[in-house]
Amino acid sequence: MQQTIVDQIEPVADDVVSLVLRGATGPLAPWEPGAHVDLTLPNWLTRQYSLCGDPADRESYRVAVRYDRLSRGGSEYIHRFLRRGRALDVSLPRNHFPLLPAPEYLFLAGGIGITPILPMLRAAAASDVPVSLVYVGQSVASMPFADGLRSAYGERVRIVATRQQGRPDLAALGSALNPGAVVYACGPGPMLTAAEAAFPAGRLYAERFRPAPRSFAPNTEFEAVCARSGRTVQVPADESLLDVLTHAGYAVPSGCREGVCGSCELTVLDGEPEHRDEIGALAGRVYACVSRALSPRLVVDL
Amino acid sequence: MTQTSTRPRRLSPAEVRARLGEPEAMVKAKIQDRIDEHFRLFIAHSPFLTMATADAEGRADCSPRGDYPGFVKVLDDRTLAIPDRPGNKIADSFRNLAENDGIGLLFLIPGLRETLRVNGHAYPTDDPGVLARTQIEAKEPVLAIVVEVAEAYFHCGRALIRSRLWDPASQALADEIPSVGEIAAAQFGMDFDPMAITQALEESYRKLY
Repeated sequence: MQQTIVDQIEPVADDVVSLVLRGATGPLAPWEPGAHVDLTLPNWLTRQYSLCGDPADRESYRVAVRYDRLSRGGSEYIHRFLRRGRALDVSLPRNHFPLLPAPEYLFLAGGIGITPILPMLRAAAASDVPVSLVYVGQSVASMPFADGLRSAYGERVRIVATRQQGRPDLAALGSALNPGAVVYACGPGPMLTAAEAAFPAGRLYAERFRPAPRSFAPNTEFEAVCARSGRTVQVPADESLLDVLTHAGYAVPSGCREGVCGSCELTVLDGEPEHRDEIGALAGRVYACVSRALSPRLVVDL
Repeated sequence: MTQTSTRPRRLSPAEVRARLGEPEAMVKAKIQDRIDEHFRLFIAHSPFLTMATADAEGRADCSPRGDYPGFVKVLDDRTLAIPDRPGNKIADSFRNLAENDGIGLLFLIPGLRETLRVNGHAYPTDDPGVLARTQIEAKEPVLAIVVEVAEAYFHCGRALIRSRLWDPASQALADEIPSVGEIAAAQFGMDFDPMAITQALEESYRKLY
């Protein structure tokens, strides 16, 4: 955890505020474009936000938050009640959406999905390879940082306000993609689903805010063996691995509980996980909030 | 000592008023009929409330509700929603509300002496939009109570000051109470093992949602 102070909170688009969080005790942990942090709010809720500032700035982090009409208490708190000067605990940055070297980049952002893309675009543009951004939103007024992007990147940025222009033709973008070019996309579910259909699988990197609707085989009971502590717990079909471990007294960190944020990552020592996360767990890892086991036993490093 | 030999004297409302005197005009004026920005701020920081309901015959009931601060959602300036988390399933409050929709809420914020009172009328709902907003740890409640606000006002801090409710030293009082297991075993008067009851309860406390 890192202690920060809310240094600035200001509207940057309709229903979007930008927060600048200054390190309270010195420089903040470094990060790479695509990273996100957990904010622990005064109402005890933890929420994940992509860092959208400059990685070279070690004094402060910047995030942008859209007000959700169906807020479960995170964005509503930030928009209505959070004030400048308030202390906030911020996690170390995590990155499930790293920018990999490529000869050309196409960035695709939907609404508040611009946040991880901003530092990616800056880094990619600085590396002198061709870059372009298609930034989609209902109206320009609802799209944070649209003006700054146009002035900084000119023709390389295409702003699409769907209320006036309709949705962009992703299939056309896909067929016009140069060989070797890669696509980084972040935005609402339907946009990413459309992107998955439009771009070749190996060349699209996407980050979702919420899990895509998917169906899985029915839950089955399995055994979780905690190798380090020598305990075995049963995970019933109607409970998550995370909940069972937490109820058994293990302090497993948790965040979104939807397989998006990655806070509950565990190391798997034996057994076959059934991955249900959105992150794409690496070999030997499992996200305990949503993932289960295909084998009757799963041995974890706890 | 199970009963006093004579019942304490019962006063009429007029006699009560004569002894208390009249409230100051300010006190009456502070009663609002909606959730303004101040009350909204208070509710957003309150992790605990008591909820009073009564049935058609006036048999009354008061129950605690607690969760993360702001667990009660302000749907608009006349409407609140209280999630119904897993509890004892006795559902006294729901049974009462079915007969008599009157409800009285008292919101508390740890460390703060003043409390917020909200009175109104209530009904149960399973509205998906309401339940989605009260989700915690990726779990939604099955039901929520919708409160249509009639009155809302701050209650002064004297009761909390006199009770030293937030003084950490006051927590020594808890040491004077036997475990729930011991009390239950004594009350049921049978072969209940106090340790087993306490352990079962502690076990159930681990799973809050």
